[in-house]
Amino acid sequence: MGELAVLFGGPSPEHDVSILTGLQAARELASSGKPPLCIYWTKMGSFVLVDGALEASAFLEGPPSSATPLVLSVEEGGGFQSEGSSRRKASQRLAIDAVILATHGGPGEDGTLQAALDLAGLPYSGPTVAGAALGMDKLAFGAVIMSAGIPSLPRVALMKDLVAVPFEGPYIVKPRFGGSSIGIDVVADLEVAKARLTANTHLANGAVIEPYRPDLSDYQVAVRTYPSRQLSAIERPLRSGAGSGEILGYADKYVGGEGMASAPRELPALVSESRAKEMLALADRVAEVAGVRGVARIDYLANDDELYVNEINTIPGSLGRYLFIDPMVPFGELLSDLITEATSSPTHRYSAAGADGLVLRGAASIAAKLA
Amino acid sequence: MNLVDVAISILCLGAGSFAWLRWLRVAQREHYLPGAATQFALRWWNDRPANQMLGILAVCTAIASFWLPVVGILAAAIVAIGPLGLGVRGRTSPLNWTRRLRTLAILSGVASVVLVIIALLLGIGPLGAAIVVLLIPIIVDAADAILRPLEKRASEHFIESATDRILRIQPDIVGITGSYGKTSTKEHLTALLSGDRAVVPSPRSFNNRAGLARAINEHLSEGTEIFIAEMGTYGKGEIQELVSWCPPEIAVITAIGPVHLERFGSLDVTLSAKAEILAPASVAVLNVDDERLAELAGRLDATSTRIVRVGSHSREADVVVAVQGSEWNIEIAGETIGIIQAPRGLQPTNVACALGVALALGVDRRVLSQRVATLPSVEHRLTSTVAPSGVLVLDDTFNSNPAGAAAALEALEHAPITGRRVVVTPGMIELGHLQRSENQKLGSRAAAVADVLIIVGRTNARSLGLGAHEHSSCEIRRVRTREEAVAWVRTSLGDGDGVLYENDLPDHYS
Repeated sequence: MGELAVLFGGPSPEHDVSILTGLQAARELASSGKPPLCIYWTKMGSFVLVDGALEASAFLEGPPSSATPLVLSVEEGGGFQSEGSSRRKASQRLAIDAVILATHGGPGEDGTLQAALDLAGLPYSGPTVAGAALGMDKLAFGAVIMSAGIPSLPRVALMKDLVAVPFEGPYIVKPRFGGSSIGIDVVADLEVAKARLTANTHLANGAVIEPYRPDLSDYQVAVRTYPSRQLSAIERPLRSGAGSGEILGYADKYVGGEGMASAPRELPALVSESRAKEMLALADRVAEVAGVRGVARIDYLANDDELYVNEINTIPGSLGRYLFIDPMVPFGELLSDLITEATSSPTHRYSAAGADGLVLRGAASIAAKLA
Repeated sequence: MNLVDVAISILCLGAGSFAWLRWLRVAQREHYLPGAATQFALRWWNDRPANQMLGILAVCTAIASFWLPVVGILAAAIVAIGPLGLGVRGRTSPLNWTRRLRTLAILSGVASVVLVIIALLLGIGPLGAAIVVLLIPIIVDAADAILRPLEKRASEHFIESATDRILRIQPDIVGITGSYGKTSTKEHLTALLSGDRAVVPSPRSFNNRAGLARAINEHLSEGTEIFIAEMGTYGKGEIQELVSWCPPEIAVITAIGPVHLERFGSLDVTLSAKAEILAPASVAVLNVDDERLAELAGRLDATSTRIVRVGSHSREADVVVAVQGSEWNIEIAGETIGIIQAPRGLQPTNVACALGVALALGVDRRVLSQRVATLPSVEHRLTSTVAPSGVLVLDDTFNSNPAGAAAALEALEHAPITGRRVVVTPGMIELGHLQRSENQKLGSRAAAVADVLIIVGRTNARSLGLGAHEHSSCEIRRVRTREEAVAWVRTSLGDGDGVLYENDLPDHYS
């Protein structure tokens, strides 16, 4: 019988927000009598064990000074080991039953971390490798929901040899992979869009172009999958006064003291009952087709006449806890369900079945193969 | 050596341990600069008649202990409680037991004890103990001087690690120095670049050798394209050392002013110390509103370094952020690229420096003009909030300098306040020979704007008061600590009033 762990941080732009989400989860678990191991993933990519009672400010200057270095061993029966030092005991494997992932953006939310934990044999909450990768790839996600008949704004890959965009401007240009608040540009036409491809290095790994629709508002719904698929209330996040353009910026979403949980919002959103029903039905279908596991947050763009699914976040800020108000799901229950799902709903099943030696027996020498 | 002598010596050392902790704290707070503890000790023992008398009494009783051993305890007790006003624990900076402090504490503590033992063996135990306790600031400084080369060697490891990291990740490095405006310029630049590049700025107050190495080792992740390094200095040679292992491609000098003037000695020395940042740079961004920097730019034109002149007043600068009423007119190479609402609390020259760098890095100017309009404010740099009581609070408590203080007073003047305007300030420090005149000017300007000027502490009380008396309409109050000022504000001000907190001195300044 091992312990629970919460993992937060990571080499991503949302590193700091992830610390807030992780510490909130750790406190909640501690207050319900199950204090978890807290694993902090530094900006440099190393893992350290930290005290869950720390405040956010302890992470301002780097890993807290009391942190114990860990090593992640990605082999069967591997997992997190505390490094031994010559003075103290040899390295010790942490006995962990399940890891709650609070890692936003970057390798923590695009399948990389998920894959490493799969190889190490550690159960974790949230998306599988495939679900995470799909959620982080705006182009792929857009294509998947479109092919499933779910309404979304047209979205094409922006490449430097793109001759024409199949819809009219002005346009929004976004990085293909990555979060929804950094590196976004509003441009008048394709020429400017292509110029941004070279000027904006956030677009270097791929970019998508969509119509810019300032007449549409953002709406968000969270969906969780255990014990059964459940949808949260609908929220309409509001922008902070500074007027940073019409798009929710990083500051709007996160700089409020408690991460997403303190961003200004209209919750529940004031929408008509039929519109609410539509949004919830779409959320259900998106969760199905995108393979959602854990808690995900689906972002829409809508006005009175139109409704589109925009993006999905497979590990949302504060794990979306502030959205489950009707019916009320306390944070403790949300976490406890995530934990049960982590252990009871496996994320991978590897097998070497089929490699039965036939090919090796029938092979002549390697040299002959190379000749 | 008899038991009475030993007992007296032990009591002296016991009392002396309070002095030991006190001067260790001062040494740490002054960044272990050579002679800091001794300098501060001399200053504090002289700062008021009560302390001067106590000091003289301590010396006399110490000498008298040669004939009457037991009065040595009195000498030790005096340095344990005194100087009056400088506590052992401290308000703004309690002791932070870092490894360096522990080593210094052990060495100075052991040295003191050894000296007392020697005195006991020589038969003058109590006299020796009393003198040792009186000389603790000097012992702390001496121990620090002994340890300094060892500390340097220990930090080498982190410097090497940082250098390797830079070589591997190869970011474009922007180095920012100047008497003031470094942090603000760094934050503005980060905001201007983040939409286009992966930018990592050095974290707050990590601007010296150890801090910069730590910033690189713990924050410069793979994939970082631009690293913005704030480089602070107290004297010549420091920046030269920093750029030897963290060489900036683009160097920025934001201002040359009378900050830390006691340590530099003169503004010319300040200029040459800051100019050390230019050596490895291919582009230099200089605030030519400052006449010394304008002259430097002229001299550098002949070299291969590309000079980008920025400013708010000089019209021939490459980047001009001109203030016109409540608007800023942004010009690049003579062409206006934007007119925006003046962002509250931001200094146009700092923004101009940031723009200069962003342009040198190839960011499109139209994009820049949009981003300047939405630059966020810098914490504790003239941020404004409204207290629950309705009082408008302007917080400008982070390291004051004359230009910043003037801007803060202007902000107070133009703020939407219907009631009384109050200024709370201890004045500015480390202005060397200009300290009296600059504080007098500050007092005068503050009294011109405010209805009440609250002077905190003693350090600049006289100069501030002198300046403030030029405007008889302003009520002058004196308090000993900022807490007292805050308490007065809480009880006396209400809805419609406004208060400016200008600068905050570390508490080992009285």
